[in-house]
Amino acid sequence: MSDTVQQFLLLSIVGFPLCAFALMAVFAWQGRRRVERAVSTAVVLAFGLAMASAIALACMMLGGGQRMVTVSVGTWFGTGESEFHLLLVGDRLSLPFAVLTALLSGLIGVFSQRYLHKEPGYLRFYMLLALFGAGVELVALAGALELTFVGWELAGLTSALLIAFFHERRKPVEHGLRAFLTYRACDVGLLAAVVWLHHATGSSTVTGALAGTGVQGDSGWAGFQAPTSTWDAFLIGLPLLWASMGKAAQVPLGGWLPRAMEGPTPSSAVFYGAISVSLGPYLLLRTESVWSGAPAVRIAIVAVGALTAVHATLVGRAQTDIKSTLAYASMTQIGVILAEVGLGLRYLALAHLIAHAALRSAQILRSPSLIHDHHHLEQATGRPLPPTGRYLDRLVPAGTQAWLYRYALERGYFDAWLRDHVVGGLARLVRRAESLDDRWARLLSTGWTPLPHTGARTEPAGLSVAAVTAEGEGRGETTGRGEQES
Amino acid sequence: MSHLDTAAGPAVEDGSAGIADLVERAAKLLPDQAPLQTFVHHNTLHAFEHLPFDEAVVSAARVFGTEPFQSEAAFQGFVDSGRIRPGDIEAVVEAEVSSETPLVPGGPTPGRFHAIRLRHLFEVPRGAALSWLLLETDQRTRFTERLDAQRRVELLAQARRDWTGSAVPEPGARALQAQLLDTLWNRLEKAAPHLRGTGAPSPRRRDQILATTGTDTDELVHPLLIRLSAAFLDQGIAYWPMPERGQGFLHAFRRLYGQPGGPPDRFLRGLDTELRRQETEAWTAERTVAWALRELAVPEPEWGAAIEATLLSLRGWAGMMRQFEHRPDRAPVEAHAARLVDYLAVQLVLDAYAARYAMVGYLGPHATVADLDRLPGPSGEPPARPVLELVYEAFVLAQVMPVDMAVFAEAGHATAWLEAVASCDETERRRLLHLAYERRHRVGVLDALSAHQQIVGGATQVTPPARMQAVFCIDEREESLRRHLEEHFPQAETYGYAGFFGVAMTYRGIDEIRARPLCPVVVTPQHLVVEEPAATRAGRHAVPRRGRGGLSRGFTVGSRTLARGSVITLGLGFAHVVTLVGRCLFPRLFHRWSQRLDHGTGAAPVTRLALERAATATEEHGDGLLRGYSVPEMVGVVSAALRTTGLGRRFSPVVLIVGHGSSSLNNPHESAHDCGATGGGRGGPNARAFAAMANHAGVREGLRDLGTDIPKDTWFVGAYHNTCDDSMTYYDEDLIPERFLSSVEEAKRVMAEACVLAAHERCRRFESAPLDLPLDAALAHVESHTVDLGQPRPEYGHATNAACIVGRRSRTRGLFLDRRAFLVSYDPEGDASGDLLTNLLLAAGPVCAGINLEYYFSYVDPAGYGCGTKLPHNIVGLLGVMDGHASDLRTGLPWQMVEIHEPVRLLLVVEAEPERLTAILDAHAGLNRLVANGWIQLVAWSPVSDAMHVFTRGRFLPYTPEDAVFPMVNRSAQFYAGNRGHLGFAHAMAAFETVLPEGTSPETIFPGTVPSETAELSEAIPSTRVSPEAVPSGTAGNEPASPMAHVQEVP
Repeated sequence: MSDTVQQFLLLSIVGFPLCAFALMAVFAWQGRRRVERAVSTAVVLAFGLAMASAIALACMMLGGGQRMVTVSVGTWFGTGESEFHLLLVGDRLSLPFAVLTALLSGLIGVFSQRYLHKEPGYLRFYMLLALFGAGVELVALAGALELTFVGWELAGLTSALLIAFFHERRKPVEHGLRAFLTYRACDVGLLAAVVWLHHATGSSTVTGALAGTGVQGDSGWAGFQAPTSTWDAFLIGLPLLWASMGKAAQVPLGGWLPRAMEGPTPSSAVFYGAISVSLGPYLLLRTESVWSGAPAVRIAIVAVGALTAVHATLVGRAQTDIKSTLAYASMTQIGVILAEVGLGLRYLALAHLIAHAALRSAQILRSPSLIHDHHHLEQATGRPLPPTGRYLDRLVPAGTQAWLYRYALERGYFDAWLRDHVVGGLARLVRRAESLDDRWARLLSTGWTPLPHTGARTEPAGLSVAAVTAEGEGRGETTGRGEQES
Repeated sequence: MSHLDTAAGPAVEDGSAGIADLVERAAKLLPDQAPLQTFVHHNTLHAFEHLPFDEAVVSAARVFGTEPFQSEAAFQGFVDSGRIRPGDIEAVVEAEVSSETPLVPGGPTPGRFHAIRLRHLFEVPRGAALSWLLLETDQRTRFTERLDAQRRVELLAQARRDWTGSAVPEPGARALQAQLLDTLWNRLEKAAPHLRGTGAPSPRRRDQILATTGTDTDELVHPLLIRLSAAFLDQGIAYWPMPERGQGFLHAFRRLYGQPGGPPDRFLRGLDTELRRQETEAWTAERTVAWALRELAVPEPEWGAAIEATLLSLRGWAGMMRQFEHRPDRAPVEAHAARLVDYLAVQLVLDAYAARYAMVGYLGPHATVADLDRLPGPSGEPPARPVLELVYEAFVLAQVMPVDMAVFAEAGHATAWLEAVASCDETERRRLLHLAYERRHRVGVLDALSAHQQIVGGATQVTPPARMQAVFCIDEREESLRRHLEEHFPQAETYGYAGFFGVAMTYRGIDEIRARPLCPVVVTPQHLVVEEPAATRAGRHAVPRRGRGGLSRGFTVGSRTLARGSVITLGLGFAHVVTLVGRCLFPRLFHRWSQRLDHGTGAAPVTRLALERAATATEEHGDGLLRGYSVPEMVGVVSAALRTTGLGRRFSPVVLIVGHGSSSLNNPHESAHDCGATGGGRGGPNARAFAAMANHAGVREGLRDLGTDIPKDTWFVGAYHNTCDDSMTYYDEDLIPERFLSSVEEAKRVMAEACVLAAHERCRRFESAPLDLPLDAALAHVESHTVDLGQPRPEYGHATNAACIVGRRSRTRGLFLDRRAFLVSYDPEGDASGDLLTNLLLAAGPVCAGINLEYYFSYVDPAGYGCGTKLPHNIVGLLGVMDGHASDLRTGLPWQMVEIHEPVRLLLVVEAEPERLTAILDAHAGLNRLVANGWIQLVAWSPVSDAMHVFTRGRFLPYTPEDAVFPMVNRSAQFYAGNRGHLGFAHAMAAFETVLPEGTSPETIFPGTVPSETAELSEAIPSTRVSPEAVPSGTAGNEPASPMAHVQEVP
């Protein structure tokens, strides 16, 4: 009896937001205009109920001394040797995170009711909020890595769409696309990890943590079955790290985070300041049992986290707009959390994650009041606010100072590197291959002289080869622009 | 970059001589908006004021790529809803379009043509859409759907007459239509002008490169330029300031980007060496500009245009650089050595590199920017083709208008028709519709004034003797408060006077760390007034608050760093769950608690203004400011106010001087809601200073010498009205002599009650408030708008402002003006020479017009002139807002502030004879420019008769009222109840002695309009006014008999 109740509660944490989304999607599909209040109430109610379920479940588990509740929604498919289960798990890792997600999303739902009042995209915002919430809850509660992937994708897609919320302007769309591309590039990691985990262990569902499979000591929450060889652990851990780097905006992929501040302030607050970036460390926490066998992965995680923290704190100090400043502050803390995860301080990391999400959301929500607050702060201190960063003057020689400042102002040059050397390099490689192709074509079909390369765009492309040339270049261009700064 | 080096060797004359002038000329077009802390409304198109309004908006639209008027679709909506009436269109066309001979024989005259055209607003599809329409639909063979039956018969008759096919069998209607229309189309197409090219090319290289290569160099340059500008101007957001910014923008840029190992961006290759070279050779900014323009191969005659286009490409930032250059005193924290030419030099250098990079990418490694001129255009010259859009429009109109199709057989007539169609193009139609739209508003106001005059002039309306007087700012937001005060307490008299009350001072409050001017922007203050703790309890609050301030600062800064951030996050992060829950769910309660935690519950310290300066003391303190006012100066200030407003004629026991301001969270544009007359500051201190002056014994003596006797039993009290939450603060209450206490208490009480009523009226505009909001919930509602982080509409500010009435309050008392009119008190009887009026108009005219026009433009083009929706705004540098993380600095007003505005030009009604106004205009060129060029609509309202004269094309023409409908109600609430939109005008009887007997329904003296149903509100606000006997007399502690007494319980 109590098992059934618990399983129902567990399911409803994901179910309520999903239902809210489905409900609105149906209405939107039918083209019916709903009054604002009905839309927001549905979403807020869904998150409220999801949070209540999560809290109730946590209380029941605490009361009963249970450490883990699972519910299987069924099997997606099975092929004799391996099966893909749709499994949800509630334990002391997933439930706090689920409560946090539902709480923040619900609060943002209430907040946006006033904030987005009379905004044409009101319904769209709430639909995306509900779907995002459902996606994150899925990641939080998933007991199978495939299911994590589903939630991961939902969260990623909705994030990108929310960045591009004001799609009548060009920049938000560009930046949404940029975030989406980063996510996609990194999602490959998660997919690879799923495949390799299946290959190595035959299963991608969680097992009881207390079984102690490969995890030293009491990890306290459900973990995946650890691969037996260090090599396998390394091969799974590294893609997992890659996957989480994109979502968590870690070096060198973090350029999308400040750009994500294009949407309405409440969505920036909850997604890019708090929940969305937390998914990276969360994934690593959940899969700790898998990669903890490979010290190299541990070192890599700590290195990425530490590098990001140092980079972001440097860069954040030169930012002159409040949202970028807060974005880099988030990046800094997420870097620290990642390092904590790598060092095995898992409870500290979880606490840090939740505390950070609350703090940062509150700060971003307050960001439009900055001028007001600055004035009051001046009044409260009774003098002009003291300049910051003075110790830089004292400690660092002048030449290095300017160099460091330029590094910060240019955001570590990562964007330029990515644009001009990685993506641009790829584009140039394609172009070179294409001109080789050209030469081949000339060799094979004598009597026709290929067009000079640079003229390809001004001359009408007569042959399919030339058409491909032009098209390839066009593609290089678009990607280049998508990656561009600002 | 050897190429760049050779271009400007030391031998080349640097050509920088004329650059400064060119920059200066271009700078006039930049937005003139100060940092957001000192937001002052101004005419967005200040640079175009020398042109007539309609010419100016059109040419500005060309320069900035903006909209001149509201869209045609919006006007169509107004025509449909009756906001614009057919009569308005007729009247406007008659005045604007000369109408003599018909366009074509038997056809309409130009005037008729315009009038019909404006009734048929249809969208003319362009390009591919038009091709589709012509090729795939039966548009060319079938009459348009806009035909009425009569015209249809007429056309068919013409078709039958001109039928050329075989007569047997009788041709069907379809065939007739097809032939007639086909002939028409062919004739028009043959006569249509041919178009080649798309006009003059842009002088800017970036535009040419974009058109030719498809690469937008601004995509490379702007992000960098935005970052640099923001870093340079930053007022304290960044933890690290930009190094060496004290020596100017160009210098700082050279130092940062001149270091070796520069950014890896490919387009910046070679920049570091070039910058080092320029720095070594100590190039001035002008020389750098000239060099870059040569690099960009811009021909020298086009430099001016290129500079203008370059600066306008990121005009928000360029404008802010200029603001810092010209008005360093307005910098919120610290004015850096900004120069616009430095900024231009940096932009052009980057432009030059980006342009070369784009050309190299397009043509190969040896390309230069000059090669662009040798390339063919984007896709060669487009072949000349007839302007099909025009033909289509003429084709449809020929069907609609009363014209015989046969006349188009003659090519000259077809051409004349096409010309007529082209002359009534979209811009012209919008202009005429705008005039019709304004006309309806003007007629509404003037008719209401004259109808109201008929009532007030009658003997039935008597104003009771004043028991209190209150002087407010002229701000149209105070209109409702004044009206409610008079309706609720008819023994109150109100006056409107510019909200700095003549006290043009620089002021430093006890909490403030720097002094700021509190006077109109055009005035340079000469006096410094400081608020000081009163001797008794000096500095009691100073110490603990400071400690808390430091702590709060440490937390804010620390939470963004690495180590401190981790500790703070872990330590205090969970506490923020409480903050979040509170802010999101209970914004008002939570704000109250946090205020209490922050400031404690103790009363504010008792303070005094250091106002008086000994007459002989002229000591300078190095800042050119006098410390306080001498008695003669005070006499001057007070006397001017009393004479201008007419307050000096009689005094009540209590005179309130009410300044105003606004405070709100989640609002970067907070200061835009403050008092315009104090230069975007809060007018409380001015009111306080004025009251103190008027109470000063020496000043009263001085006034007596000038003929104004303030009696002993009159006391002035300064007050401050927060227009956002409708709260009142009173100053220096401890100085009020005992004998006035009861009168002051009464004044405060009725004022508080009027605030509730005014708040309730404001709530009707907020969709968040139900239309049947109970009266006692109104204050709570407006207060929650003030403190809610999630509320992008703290108040609607000046939105809906449309008129300004300069004259005696007795002529507007009891008139419901819907918070849309600035009310300036002016007593024509005390102004024989006209000097007072001149001063009033010189101050109020430009200020009100500035407010009005800023709202006009921000509404008409929210993205081009305004700063768009608030939702993605991001505060940068404590100066302004950007959209998202790196955009141009957005100037103008956000959409949430203007969304309910009606974009009409200010209707300035002045109680004076036309001759006097003409004389004033002739003597003051600045004012004349505004009026003659039509930036303001001016009306002379005779002080003796009720005649009105409207200023039209250089002279005053008499006005005859046309609308004979004027609603009459007991109280304002009856009129506005149940409505959100703009209302007309009405007479509220409660402001006078005579009222309708209890129980009778509101009437109209002119039949035709009965105010909308008065709902529950008329019950909440008793339709009977407080009878004089019920008002507590003189003694304190009386039972408050007002029916509104319960509002006092509302905290």
